[in-house]
Amino acid sequence: MKKIADRCLVGFAWLSAGMVTLAAVMLVGFLLRRGLASIDGSLFFGETHWLDAVSGRAPVFEGIWPALMGTLYLVLVSSFVSIPVGIASGVYLAEYASKRVRASLGCAVDLLAGTPSIVMGLFGFALILLLRRTLFPQAGTSLALAALCIALLVLPYVIRTTQTALQAIPVHLRILGPVCGLSGLQAIVHILLPVASRGILSGVILAMGRAAEDTAVILLTGVVAQAGMPRGLWERFEALPFRIYYLAAEHQTRRQLDQGFATSLVLLLLTSTLFLTAFMLQRRFEKRWKKW
Amino acid sequence: MEKVVTNPAIVVEELCVEFSGKTVLENVSLTILPAELHVIIGPSGSGKSTLLRAINRLNEFFPNCRTSGLVRIRLDGHLVDIYARDAPPLPELRRRVAMVFQTPAVLPFSIEKNMTMPLKVTLGLRGGELRERMEWALRQVGLWDEVEARLLDEATTLSGGQQQRLCLARALALGPQVLLVDEPTASLDFRATETIEQLLVDLKDRYTIIAVSHSLSQARRLADRLWVLREGRVMQQMNRRQLQDAALFQEIIDNIF
Repeated sequence: MKKIADRCLVGFAWLSAGMVTLAAVMLVGFLLRRGLASIDGSLFFGETHWLDAVSGRAPVFEGIWPALMGTLYLVLVSSFVSIPVGIASGVYLAEYASKRVRASLGCAVDLLAGTPSIVMGLFGFALILLLRRTLFPQAGTSLALAALCIALLVLPYVIRTTQTALQAIPVHLRILGPVCGLSGLQAIVHILLPVASRGILSGVILAMGRAAEDTAVILLTGVVAQAGMPRGLWERFEALPFRIYYLAAEHQTRRQLDQGFATSLVLLLLTSTLFLTAFMLQRRFEKRWKKW
Repeated sequence: MEKVVTNPAIVVEELCVEFSGKTVLENVSLTILPAELHVIIGPSGSGKSTLLRAINRLNEFFPNCRTSGLVRIRLDGHLVDIYARDAPPLPELRRRVAMVFQTPAVLPFSIEKNMTMPLKVTLGLRGGELRERMEWALRQVGLWDEVEARLLDEATTLSGGQQQRLCLARALALGPQVLLVDEPTASLDFRATETIEQLLVDLKDRYTIIAVSHSLSQARRLADRLWVLREGRVMQQMNRRQLQDAALFQEIIDNIF
């Protein structure tokens, strides 16, 4: 009886793993089949010459180049906020917080993680309305506001993975900081964080992926259909997920829908490139800190 | 006749240590002399490691620890109460009262970084001075010739005995006055054990050494002074002469264990 249960469990585990792989392969396969043919110069730059578009000499009206750059800026600016704040909060929760503080702050982090992105978008929108009525009458939805709201949305991923990675460090390694005469902070910076860096990276990757794909937050906080290249932190911008949504919802021809699929493929490529960059940076950094 | 102690290196008086309300050490008093090798033996759970860790306040690293009593250590010529309010800061105390563990505790870095990181971070050493200090410490433990050509290899690629000597070198590099050694040969083979034992004998003139040992024969070989601990209390203290008398030693040990 036990043997049969064991076999069933193993079979179910194989089946589940197989289904996940199949789903991923089918998704990418479908996107490739519908979108690959539409990936060309005109998808990115429309009628504009690519050199003029990239150098900013001529505006792009039809292509997704401004949206690609908008998403890239959005990910970078939100990561600039969420990664340091998230890691610092994770360090605090793992290393400094008392049991009681850890429980109540942990609850707040879980609440933040469970907040639907549209609610976060509404928060950003309400915030800007409040600012307009009070301190900054000229404030408006912008790249900075969207990035800030996105950073809030992805913050729990970075906090929780940092906290978990630090707490997973075994006592025999943890004690080496004090034994070598390091202060608490020195031990965190020179031993614990480097050792936990692989775990932290997984949180950073999750955060960047979520920042790149979220549509609901930016919809209410700064994204527009035709903004052109992002001109600054206080300006509105275009973004790939919104572009995909727009193309899918408003398409007139099959070609436009295919462009939507092609844009999805570009978004997937962009996030993959970001993940790969983060991964390679971490490995390079790890190789370095292990030696010197 | 016990000789009169005029310049003790460490004085422990009525030391009690509790973890979560459970007493681990009870009224332990002992005097440690400079230039002697002190060995503590006792059955598992008798409080040997806790006693060592009380001397560099490492017990406080573990949760719910309460310590009372006095631990005074001679630092720069003066006996300093390390639990007093004006005691040296913990990082400084732990540099000067260094500790080596039962299983080699190398950092997951290269051999070189195991040596240099604590020196850079705590003492701010750089450049030539840093390399000199590293080489000096590695030579002290007889490891320099073995690792000179592979300083950038991971420390975990060394053998157990080499890792233990690296840990000892890392401690020596920080300029300690006291060495606390917790069963340093427990995980090593015969030859590596011999090397570490010889090292401790060589170092005892320059450092105050307190070692916990799991082996009675090792304790007899090494100790100038021996304490036997049971259930958190010092049951017996023996000097070199008593240790030499095999029959007497055996009788005392049989009575206690």
